[in-house]
Amino acid sequence: MGSSVAGPDAKAPPILEVRDLRTYFFQDEGTVKAVDGAGLSVYAGKTLGIVGESGCGKSVTARSILRIVERPGRVVSGEILLREDGRETDLARLDAESREMRQVRGGDIALIFQEPMTSFSPVHTVGSQMIETIRLHQALDKRAAREKAIEMFRLVGIPRPERRVDEYAFQLSGGLRQRAMIALALSCAPRILIADEPTTALDVTTQAQILSLLARLQQGEGMAIILITHNLGVVAEMCDQVAVMYLGRVVEQGPVDAIFHAPRHPYTRALLRSIPSIHAPVRTRLPTIAGSIPHPYNRPPGCPFHPRCPDFMPGRCDRAEPALLTVAPGQQAACFLYGDARP
Amino acid sequence: MTPAAGDDNRLLEVRDLQKLFPIRRGFLRRVVGQVRAVDGVTFHVERGETLALVGESGCGKTTTSRCVLRAVTPTAGQILFRTAEGPVLDVATLPRRQLRPLRRQMQMIFQDPFSSLNPRRTLLDIVAEPLVANRVGTRAERVERVAELLRLVGLRPEYMRRYPHAFSGGQRQRVGIARALALSPRLVVADEPVSALDVSVQAQILNLMLDLQAQLGLTYLFVAHDLSVVKHVSDRVAVMYVGQIVELAETEALFTSPRHPYTEALLSAVPKPDPRLRAQRIVLEGEVADAAHPPPGCYFHPRCGYAVERCRVETPRLAPVEPGHFVACHRARELTLRGITP
Repeated sequence: MGSSVAGPDAKAPPILEVRDLRTYFFQDEGTVKAVDGAGLSVYAGKTLGIVGESGCGKSVTARSILRIVERPGRVVSGEILLREDGRETDLARLDAESREMRQVRGGDIALIFQEPMTSFSPVHTVGSQMIETIRLHQALDKRAAREKAIEMFRLVGIPRPERRVDEYAFQLSGGLRQRAMIALALSCAPRILIADEPTTALDVTTQAQILSLLARLQQGEGMAIILITHNLGVVAEMCDQVAVMYLGRVVEQGPVDAIFHAPRHPYTRALLRSIPSIHAPVRTRLPTIAGSIPHPYNRPPGCPFHPRCPDFMPGRCDRAEPALLTVAPGQQAACFLYGDARP
Repeated sequence: MTPAAGDDNRLLEVRDLQKLFPIRRGFLRRVVGQVRAVDGVTFHVERGETLALVGESGCGKTTTSRCVLRAVTPTAGQILFRTAEGPVLDVATLPRRQLRPLRRQMQMIFQDPFSSLNPRRTLLDIVAEPLVANRVGTRAERVERVAELLRLVGLRPEYMRRYPHAFSGGQRQRVGIARALALSPRLVVADEPVSALDVSVQAQILNLMLDLQAQLGLTYLFVAHDLSVVKHVSDRVAVMYVGQIVELAETEALFTSPRHPYTEALLSAVPKPDPRLRAQRIVLEGEVADAAHPPPGCYFHPRCGYAVERCRVETPRLAPVEPGHFVACHRARELTLRGITP
């Protein structure tokens, strides 16, 4: 309840603001514009959901914020503004390898991945990896860091934490591994947690446990969460704000209630209609979105969604790219249905 | 050779199916234990219907489907399949040589359309492969049949000389379906056919499967973990937990009035795509029981909010609570559980 009104607060500026971010991958076959002009605002204590299908650029956006985009990818332009106590740092301008950026990663902003198996080293115990991370960011001796690791394990609900810290990642189940990953990410009390498909590899009952855990930790710590997922159910359960991405661009954003109950962009509408619902009558056909997501080398001109769009306007949508326009309080959509506001 | 399944409409009848995998340790690879992957599973599939096997990873749903296809040889139990020729054969014990003609009548659709298609072969080679393997038709006839199959699954026959890499995930899954249908099978086993696909493409494939079923009278054994997907395709659903069926019912009944606490928890754990329906989620404590060391009594009791002393000692059997609705729970008749309201 009440989460639907948690829109941008005029008094408190976002603690993280991404403006017109472009991250391109320069390959022999051509340039893939994985993120092509994305903008996002993250508020303290709130959860921003980034949804979209494969290739929409949601994960690359997260990696760009942390400046861990792999070669041949590069942040080409845009701003990534991290704010604290009136200070503002543009992460896009920092050297990815710099000391400052390393302090941001893990310190201010932490990341958890979809596959917790590959995020831990197979040859070190989970505890030793946590102790290393804790000591990298905090001045603690080994023993105190170990105590801290055990405390974090207890916080995320890992049973018998004193024993679990000395185990290897492969000895933990999927759910426990994801909990350990969250403990590792939270060990340095980040202000922003980026969770990239944190429950996609998990079963539903384990997913429910992890989502409850994240919600509980957020309440306790007042942390902001950027939740990246393709699962609209997870978005509806967890998020305050939602950004819908398609082929590298944010096509619609707004409060979660508006996105689900008054979506404006044809892609958001079609996506919501096409998801299999547990509330649907038995054995019913689903409305579909025509065609499939274009290959990044064959990015359509104009609005990237126009070849699949039911509201396609010839001569308009295939000529120019629509900008994000305010369509309702706190809600924006990039679509010519709502006019044309090219600066 | 085997007792005939009573009802002519029963295409498949599985009785007390069991599959144990040995756990080996040490230099001599001695057997030190057993994983009870499938442990006494009984169900049937009627001609033209879709039965879904659902459950979380490790519940035995995939092993069950592999046993039905005899890709895995069961440890015990019967798998009675009504052949096109009339007689009912027990797939579980049939000698290898007699299995081969039977395999034409059972086909499989795989989960991952990226790894299940050979990247070095054209669509024509891939879809015609079952025809070639079973020496069906001349080359020209096979080309004709492949064109027909591609059209059937919504692909242009002109594409048949192309390679899989030229196609999207959804299109590849269509190719996998065309291949499965090449020999006009009586039973199609689909193991998580849409879970590797994007949301907007899932709907297309689910619709295709429904259309093909109506058009060709197909029978599906549909293995999935996603209950929303299951609701869109199945007539009946069997919920599995640690190698056993805990509840089996018609789809509507199972979703609106579940009778097993595990089904209730599963339904409640599915994130609903509506922010106004938040909260009231049942979060199960602990983890799925280890199939190598299952707890005594009901396997679900350590996580069950309704467990009583009896559940800790006595294993419940799958029994009818209403016509067509089977539950393995001591308290099925007294509990009122929460389902999904439409």
